[in-house]
Amino acid sequence: MSELEKDLNAEELEENIEQTAEEVAEAEPSETVSTVIDEAEEAAVEAAAEEPVRREEPRAVNAKAQKPARISYERKKQLYGYGFIALWIIGTLYFFIYPLVVSLVYSFHDTKVGSGGMELSNLGFQNYVNAFRQDQDYSKALVETLSNTALKTPLILIFSIFIAVILNQKFRGRTFARAVFFLPVIIATGPVIDIINGNMSTSGTAGGAEQFSSMFEANLVDELLNFLGIYNISEKLTEVINSLTSDIFNLVWNSGIQILLFLSALQGIPYSAKEAAQMEGATSWEYFWKITIPYISPQILTCLVYTIVDSFVDPGNQVMEKVLSKASSWEHGYSAAMAWAYFAIIGVVLAIVVAIINKFIYYEVE
Amino acid sequence: MATKKEEKQFEKECKAARKARYKRMKAEGLEKWLTPEQIRYNRRKAITGAIWPIFRFLILFGLCFVILYPLIFMISTAFRPNEQMNDPSIVWLPKSLTLDNIKQTWKVMKFDQTVLTTVRLNLIASVLQVITTAITGYGFARFKFKGKSIMFAIVVLMIIVPPQITTIPLYMQYAFFKPQWLAKLFTGGATSLINTGWTMYLPAMFANGLRAGLFIFIFRQFFRGLPKELEDAAYLDGCGPFKTFLVVMVPNAKTSFLTVFLFSIVWYWNDFYVSSSFFTHTDTVALMLKNLDAQLQQDLFGGQAISVRQIIVWLEAGCVLSITPLLVMYIFLQRYFIEGIERSGITGM
Repeated sequence: MSELEKDLNAEELEENIEQTAEEVAEAEPSETVSTVIDEAEEAAVEAAAEEPVRREEPRAVNAKAQKPARISYERKKQLYGYGFIALWIIGTLYFFIYPLVVSLVYSFHDTKVGSGGMELSNLGFQNYVNAFRQDQDYSKALVETLSNTALKTPLILIFSIFIAVILNQKFRGRTFARAVFFLPVIIATGPVIDIINGNMSTSGTAGGAEQFSSMFEANLVDELLNFLGIYNISEKLTEVINSLTSDIFNLVWNSGIQILLFLSALQGIPYSAKEAAQMEGATSWEYFWKITIPYISPQILTCLVYTIVDSFVDPGNQVMEKVLSKASSWEHGYSAAMAWAYFAIIGVVLAIVVAIINKFIYYEVE
Repeated sequence: MATKKEEKQFEKECKAARKARYKRMKAEGLEKWLTPEQIRYNRRKAITGAIWPIFRFLILFGLCFVILYPLIFMISTAFRPNEQMNDPSIVWLPKSLTLDNIKQTWKVMKFDQTVLTTVRLNLIASVLQVITTAITGYGFARFKFKGKSIMFAIVVLMIIVPPQITTIPLYMQYAFFKPQWLAKLFTGGATSLINTGWTMYLPAMFANGLRAGLFIFIFRQFFRGLPKELEDAAYLDGCGPFKTFLVVMVPNAKTSFLTVFLFSIVWYWNDFYVSSSFFTHTDTVALMLKNLDAQLQQDLFGGQAISVRQIIVWLEAGCVLSITPLLVMYIFLQRYFIEGIERSGITGM
């Protein structure tokens, strides 16, 4: 075994050398081409004539010593690459791509669970047509989810940038604060938080999310506007402000990952930039807009995509609820159709958002 | 690039020097040295420097309270006797504490057994998942091959597409697993993998477990950040790619292995969607908890219909039981969760 290994290693070493030899061989003629412009064509012809000869040499030697046919180093590395991801390829084909395709197929069929698997009968696009034409809730839920996401995403982003900037400062108890802000990521994926929230709203005495948000609620906004001498500005506006302020609970609980991403981006800002800004006498406000935002802008895109996806696929939103309830009442075809239509829409939204935001992103070029 | 420690030292020295100079200047009269603008700038900075920490404390304190609120509620409720739930004079602090709720809920959830099952499932799946996603991530980070960008797009797709879409076809695949001899080998006779741990181990074994896309992504980013010279040195010393990965790269990626492993454990522990689809028994902690109210009604109230309000203390006790292992782990390993992501970072997309 060890013999064989040694052999293999020797092979590889030789190959390394071989490759460098090849590179040299290739580099030489190209140099002549670039330096002697007048004789460019001649040199090229020469190089073309020379190259195979030079390449043949080591191979001829090898052929005597070892196997006649060998794969090149590059090609071998490529094969190793496939070797590394082979497990994943098999798994993805079986556990991801195939089920995905099958669910797409379901969406065009009427499904019935039989003894040997699914029994399908072709419907064409009927499921999709039904979702948009017949089902009254589906389009409504779709609009609701879309507008919810559109409202929530910028809020979460701004909030998490703000918190990340604060948590990146140096103060006592920073570790504790970070640990607390990241706690939702650990807990919120499980059933625990739903149960606690449900209990909080049913138990009268100890508040609950509603009582909690009532601290920030409605009348405060109205009163503030009244205090400023603005009356009846518009019902819609106060409604929007209300829904924002009363949602602080969900806001904080949904932005754990984003805060973390921004924190790591903030830590990537080079010290020299900070120093230069200080030398120039930048205020923290200027520093934030001129240094921080450009540096973390790639991360803003990441967070944006993450937030949108997270809010779209949240099992608690109306569309997903509908999809799941249809699936659990054995209407798999219809449920799959709704899900696929939904994901087509998400895809379009994401593509548009990414295309727009990409224009404003600053990538540091080294 | 200076290290963190040097930066700190440098900043400290700067501050001290600045202070000393300012003192000297003040003794001679500031106007002599600085323009009015500079004086104004300094004054403003001093004021914000004094006020900002107070605001910061208020903001952070308020938001920490928002986050911890449900947990405080949980603990406050889980340890009080049931009668005190309806006592209007009690909001946070119960008049007496009791462990009965916990004990009863422990029995209803068959907690010792449930935890053992869950831990077994979690550990095996997480270990498999970490190993395979690391290998895949390395493959994506360091090798060039045809179709790589398309395959990586599939990885991203794995992050985006929620498991709900693929569950039903997957269920059919597990229920009628082919080839059948393989299923029989796995389960010892039956042809269906439903209700066996294989529904979790198999995807994890092939880098397709829970949120595998994200983990592959994290590993890829991490391995891309390591210097290439490390591997070149190993290659020159005569290691093949697989040996290089094992001997050189893995030891360097320890923290990121730990981070991914911890996340994997947390998500498997919390998962109830996937496990509820593939298990008809309720024998993991998350499933037990989801089903707790029905179970409580059956075991404690003899099958009477009871409103949720009357069993809150037990529900909360169940929450305490199932979240405590995670919380303890988080408290002790908190820095690996945060620093691991920060360093191995999803930064630099």
